[in-house]
Amino acid sequence: MAKDTYLKKILGGDQYERVRNSKVLMVGAGGIGCELLKDLVLTGYGQIHIVDLDTITLSNLNRQFLFRRTDIDKSKSLTVANAVQSFNYLNTKLIPHHGNIMDSKQFPIHWWNQFDYIFNALDNLEARRHVNKMCLFLKKPLMESGTTGFEGQIQPIFPYYSECFDCQAKETPKTYPVCTIRSTPSSPVHCITWAKEFLFHQLFDEADQVGVNDAEKIAGETDDKEEQANLAKEANELIELRNSINSKDSNGFINELIEKIFKVDIERLLLIETLWKARTKPIPLPYDEYKSQLEELVNNPLSESILKNETKVWSVLENLYVLYKSSVALQTRINGGEPFITFDKDDEDTLDFVVSSANLRSSIFHIETKSKFDIKQIAGNIIPAIATTNAIISGFSCLGGTSYFKHDPKSIGQNYSSLMEDSRTVYISIRPNKYITSALLSEPNPKCASSSISRGVLEINENDLKSKSLSWLVNSLIDMYGYEEEGLSISLGQSKLIYDVDFNDNLDTILSNINGFKDGELILIQDDDDVFENLELYITVKKDQPTELPDIKLGKKIFEKEEEDEDDEEDKEDYSMEEINAGDTIIIDDGDEIELIDEEIEPAYKKRKVDN
Amino acid sequence: MSLCKTRLQEERKQWRKDHPFGFFAKPVKDTDGSLNLKVWNAGIPGKSTTIWQDAVYPVTINFPDEYPSKPPKVKFPAGFYHPNVYPSGTICLSILNEEQDWRPAITLKQIVLGVQELLDSPNPESPAQEPAWKAFSKDRSLYEKKVKEQAKKYASADHN
Repeated sequence: MAKDTYLKKILGGDQYERVRNSKVLMVGAGGIGCELLKDLVLTGYGQIHIVDLDTITLSNLNRQFLFRRTDIDKSKSLTVANAVQSFNYLNTKLIPHHGNIMDSKQFPIHWWNQFDYIFNALDNLEARRHVNKMCLFLKKPLMESGTTGFEGQIQPIFPYYSECFDCQAKETPKTYPVCTIRSTPSSPVHCITWAKEFLFHQLFDEADQVGVNDAEKIAGETDDKEEQANLAKEANELIELRNSINSKDSNGFINELIEKIFKVDIERLLLIETLWKARTKPIPLPYDEYKSQLEELVNNPLSESILKNETKVWSVLENLYVLYKSSVALQTRINGGEPFITFDKDDEDTLDFVVSSANLRSSIFHIETKSKFDIKQIAGNIIPAIATTNAIISGFSCLGGTSYFKHDPKSIGQNYSSLMEDSRTVYISIRPNKYITSALLSEPNPKCASSSISRGVLEINENDLKSKSLSWLVNSLIDMYGYEEEGLSISLGQSKLIYDVDFNDNLDTILSNINGFKDGELILIQDDDDVFENLELYITVKKDQPTELPDIKLGKKIFEKEEEDEDDEEDKEDYSMEEINAGDTIIIDDGDEIELIDEEIEPAYKKRKVDN
Repeated sequence: MSLCKTRLQEERKQWRKDHPFGFFAKPVKDTDGSLNLKVWNAGIPGKSTTIWQDAVYPVTINFPDEYPSKPPKVKFPAGFYHPNVYPSGTICLSILNEEQDWRPAITLKQIVLGVQELLDSPNPESPAQEPAWKAFSKDRSLYEKKVKEQAKKYASADHN
């Protein structure tokens, strides 16, 4: 029997032929990528390009099944392309590219144009946003996918017809205000952050240049050096303590540490009365009451078993014991010649220190304490990557991709309205009866900065680039798109404003002399009169053809002013959108019913994804 | 991130077209001659009939990549005298706090008006520096004296 008999039966002869004759791109060859490439090859795609910038590491091998131990340190994209040859029954042509998909030199816009369909199998927001944007520029269909633990989802994207990747706000990792961490913690994660980023860091990690500066790490802020002055006493004493690691014996060091951190510092905090008007006061650790018991534990070799019990929530005494043991170990290492020690969840000494000190702080502030196992997940930002989740999501991604070929791409062109009916966003989870749910595709969010914008490619002649000034470009834009005289602003790249009516310093500057005005960069043009929608142009430099602005009729700008007036409603709306993203709102297949599930599940994107 | 850029360009445009009287706000000029939309210098006038009057207080506004999901960071010069301003100059204000009242819809105009409001209505519940907070709660005449001294330092040109 021919290898494609079943495929023909499942897809039908026409659809199968289209798949056979298509050229697709898969971005990412990791957790999802390995699974997905297998599926795509077995589906018989004509040509698959694979892009990944990574090399293989040991920790990949448990789930990225196309890799073997001997592949460690080799390129992921090159390795997968070879690995699937053993079952490449339908002779799919595989073209690997080792590189960063965001590199516009290696992957310029015309390179993207060759693909019929694009599959994302990525693990980070930045690259996802880039692929999404390229697909929007070229109006290419895109299949987005991602997993977090047992949860996963696929989202087919048909540019300007369905929601794009940026239409739903993605939350970025939470940061905490310094004062919450240092003075008024209220949840376990605050205490864990304090233990890891502040206490451990100050005592054992590489010293900061100027005194104490935990804030930078905690809050990603830039200038908190002086803010520390407020808590300077506390911090300076810690520095003294650090400097004494070498000279003090273990008992002296640890007693002083516990005494200071869990007693004196807390007593000092209690003096700031306003802090505790609306909060429960912390209770300093009565260390003296524990001293003799702790000594007994330390002297009894059997106590070591405490350290092994990672899923138990330790008592105050047990935490003191673990703190004692880990401090001794860390002190010994410093004295043994390690200049500093950096927190690593897999370094038991550092983890034990953070777990026990976080828990002791929690108990002082009446916060729930956690097991070592739980704290390891939080402190290490670990979400387990699960091979099965990746496999299921890849299956959906592959199947979802084939439905694009139901219709003849040549006849529909870039009119995707018929595909909106045939495609679904799919969520998977381990909640009973909600293992797999799907939703019709939504229309683009009118407030999305990526979707509600016109895009085109600005082909600029190399000679023009080197001889024409910014004012020439401004006037060309006015002529082409109908802005009022001086009625537009232009920004370049990430955040450079190069022109508006009140900022015309650069008008006489030759384009190639404007820093960043070059091939592969983007310019964003906004209409001063708020009549036309925003226009984003991709700069591409051509040698042998005249400069050409894309022939686009700019749509009307959607007014955002209303936002301010309907604040409250807005908030609610945003909330429910987030819920959909989290997979918490399940839309039954016909899109009519919305059911909210009460379980508090953190949206997948809140966590750092270890693997997708 | 594209939302950040689009929004900042929009904020610049809206500010240019309309902003509250007595305020100024402008992105800083980079060495390459462009304006950096991520960092702005602004001036906040003290309200008349308050001890903050007749002065324009300078602030720098730093927008993070995640703006407008995350709020900008607004700073007075280091050492600025106010109960809710950290020694570094960073302003402690609920609308600028991601965990409190920040919402992506808050505009630059609302931010600077919020800071102006804070000047004469400090929040004693969230002290950010010792001297001003202590004086404000315990020795009001010392507090007013210090604030007025500071106002002289930042006196607006037409009152000099």
